[in-house]
Amino acid sequence: MTYNFDWSVLWRGQSGLWLLQGLVTTIEISVVAWVVAFTLGIFSGAVRTVSITPLRWLASFYVEFFRNVPLLVWMFFWYFAVPPLLPQPLQDWLFDHGAEFWAGVVALGVYHGARFSEVMRSGIQSIPKTLFEAAVSTGLTMAQAYRLIIIPIALRLIIPPATNESLNLIKNSSVALTIGVAELTFQTRQIETYTAKAFEALTAGTLIYLVLCLAIATTMSQLEKRFAIPGMITKRQTGEF
Amino acid sequence: MIEFRDVDKWFGSLHVLKRINLKVSGGEVVVVCGPSGSGKSTLIRCVNRLESIQSGEIIVDGQSLLDPKFDPSKLRTDVGMVFQSFNLYPHMTVLQNITLAPTKVKGLAAGEAEKVAKELLDRVGIPDKAGVYPANLSGGQQQRVAIARALAMKPKIMLFDEPTSALDPEMINEVLEVMTDLAHDGMTMVVVTHEMGFARRVAHRVVFMDEGQIIEEGKPETFFGAPQSPRAQQFLGKILSH
Amino acid sequence: MKRLLLLLATFISVAGSITVARAETTLEKISQTGIFTIGTRTGSPPFAYVNKNNEWVGFSIDLVETSILPLISKKLNKQIKLEKKESAPNTRIPLLTSNAVDLIAETMSDTQSRREQVDFSLTFFATGAQFLVKRGTPIKGIQTIAGKRIAAQQGSTNAKIIRERVPTAKLLEFPDQPAAFQALAQGQVQAYTNDGIQLAGLKAKAPKPDEWAIVGEFFSYEPYGMAMRKNDSDFRQVVNVGLMEAIESGKYFELYEKWFGPKGEVPYPLAPETKRFLQMQVVPK
Ligand SMILES: Nc1ncnc2c1ncn2[C@@H]1O[C@H](COP(=O)(O)OP(=O)(O)OP(=O)(O)O)[C@@H](O)[C@H]1O
Ligand SMILES: [Mg+2]
Repeated sequence: MTYNFDWSVLWRGQSGLWLLQGLVTTIEISVVAWVVAFTLGIFSGAVRTVSITPLRWLASFYVEFFRNVPLLVWMFFWYFAVPPLLPQPLQDWLFDHGAEFWAGVVALGVYHGARFSEVMRSGIQSIPKTLFEAAVSTGLTMAQAYRLIIIPIALRLIIPPATNESLNLIKNSSVALTIGVAELTFQTRQIETYTAKAFEALTAGTLIYLVLCLAIATTMSQLEKRFAIPGMITKRQTGEF
Repeated sequence: MIEFRDVDKWFGSLHVLKRINLKVSGGEVVVVCGPSGSGKSTLIRCVNRLESIQSGEIIVDGQSLLDPKFDPSKLRTDVGMVFQSFNLYPHMTVLQNITLAPTKVKGLAAGEAEKVAKELLDRVGIPDKAGVYPANLSGGQQQRVAIARALAMKPKIMLFDEPTSALDPEMINEVLEVMTDLAHDGMTMVVVTHEMGFARRVAHRVVFMDEGQIIEEGKPETFFGAPQSPRAQQFLGKILSH
Repeated sequence: MKRLLLLLATFISVAGSITVARAETTLEKISQTGIFTIGTRTGSPPFAYVNKNNEWVGFSIDLVETSILPLISKKLNKQIKLEKKESAPNTRIPLLTSNAVDLIAETMSDTQSRREQVDFSLTFFATGAQFLVKRGTPIKGIQTIAGKRIAAQQGSTNAKIIRERVPTAKLLEFPDQPAAFQALAQGQVQAYTNDGIQLAGLKAKAPKPDEWAIVGEFFSYEPYGMAMRKNDSDFRQVVNVGLMEAIESGKYFELYEKWFGPKGEVPYPLAPETKRFLQMQVVPK
């Protein structure tokens, strides 16, 4: 007896449509969550390197708290624990308008924001402190120095680790199926239960994730080349900034 | 122009500036020297408030840095600073490096700022490097851009912290020449350097520091010709034998 | 990049050629190892679950232990040990095809499309989909759920039927029962649909069972069967004869009373027509 592969289940019936819907949902939730995560990460990562102590503590608290609690717990938290705190009409409105999607976005965004924050912080800390001093010495305020000098440089430096984090975010978006978001993994499971073809469905899902991640990794490395600081790539190889 | 009154500074338990009293008047060029770790950098970094002090008072251009209304960004537009490690913005061209502060801080129009920047590049001797990125310049050229960047804000005071220490010997002179010109144009300058030739030729006064204190100060010819304190003698002995 | 593509190609070709080569039949395998392995649930009371005393028990497990296991031992002429492994809706079939288990005995509905992958025993329990709601809500069955938010277990046949029959209902699928019930309790959804017997179990376990009501006619037919690898009729015969003997001897109804009787885990009276149906599955010796 052998397992009979039947790849046609992937395009027979509704499977193809489901995979496509799952892919679209995965992209939607990942993109929106990424924007949240990236914004939070850049901001809090930068704040963690400034000399204003209360702000730095606040940012550190955010990072440590959100990064060290498992994502699954956050999914349940934002979906089950938060809505009851809202007024009833708002709750109903949310539940009628994809509350699970938005809970998933917030959970992913805030969790990965904390992780992006660490990436950003170490990026900024790899920039010599005297560069910041030189910037403020010309009369730029601290905020201007960060906005015009420190953050633009850090963003270029962190492209490789930030790409990694972005790919993690995409993979982690599948955790949202626990609160009912019909993303890609959800749909592969769906195909599996409808067609009872586990290997085929799983393989299809895996391949789609792989292609998605490859596409992003390629785009990011193009981006890295495009925005490379002139002279820096060769310098970085010799261990200098 | 700059006045230190009984200034003390600590880094934690480390007492780095001890009862410093120093006056620099307008148009004066003061060279600060002394052994490593004696507090020279800390001293000039206090002038533009990159470091804060624990006691005493510093007055720059008639304004006390302890004044509650004091605004460090405002002060820094009047006080340019050049560092040992040139610290150019690596993601910007030479021109952008120079025009950034004038446009963002003073609100100068882009065209106006560029005109000023080109004049300054001319002045520091690299008019053809406007569109180049810092990584493609030699050390001496980078330091000259850094000087031009500081001058673009039209400061009243220029601070130099060992501007030539990171340079290959053949590039030191091109930077010192620019600084000499600047001094001859009447800029108020405080220069931390071990370039004794420059000090002799350009400085109006030399300040010698050791262990956080000003040990000796005087005209270059007096200081180099007949140093009073044993520590200065020892220090000069070491430097000049190299 | 090139290496990744190569990896991809390898992955595809390996996936395409996995053949779970197996010469022996299930009975031969059991005879050789002395172990009979079933795949079953840990959280589906009263069919298969871990109870308060941390014992893995339930109606489906009892059926295997009292009616099928002794028959296998007798047939192979040696004492066979029973082993249990955890299975879930999405691991059941791979568990079987990879030989990790020999029989799925839990709450698996027999369906035509599943029969393309695995073989099923006789139906050992019949139920159908209904709705669990907060007592007093206007939902009365599948006719009254248009526009409502409905929770279902992910990939269940109930979800499929609702999607086809009431496309305007907002269906939310959860991977497990506790999450779905939580969503119902908090108002994320207005009803939770699952097999009536599952809902009865959930209701019985709830902190305040009286707050909940099971409503609606069965809108699906869910006959639970035990699944095994395809085309192994000797083994299937043993399983089926075991079940038939249990029904005929009355052992089945004793177990039913134990788990679904008034004093059982989940009281769920046996409808006369269901009893009749079970008996009619028993073919003469
Ligand atoms: N940010 C800081 N935190 C703690 N200690 C510091 C800090 N900056 C300087 N120091 C210490 O203060 C003392 C004076 O340092 P400073 O940089 O002013 O010396 P310097 O005379 O400029 O020496 P060099 O010739 O090596 O540049 C040194 O002992 C130094 O280690
Ligand atoms: Mg120094």
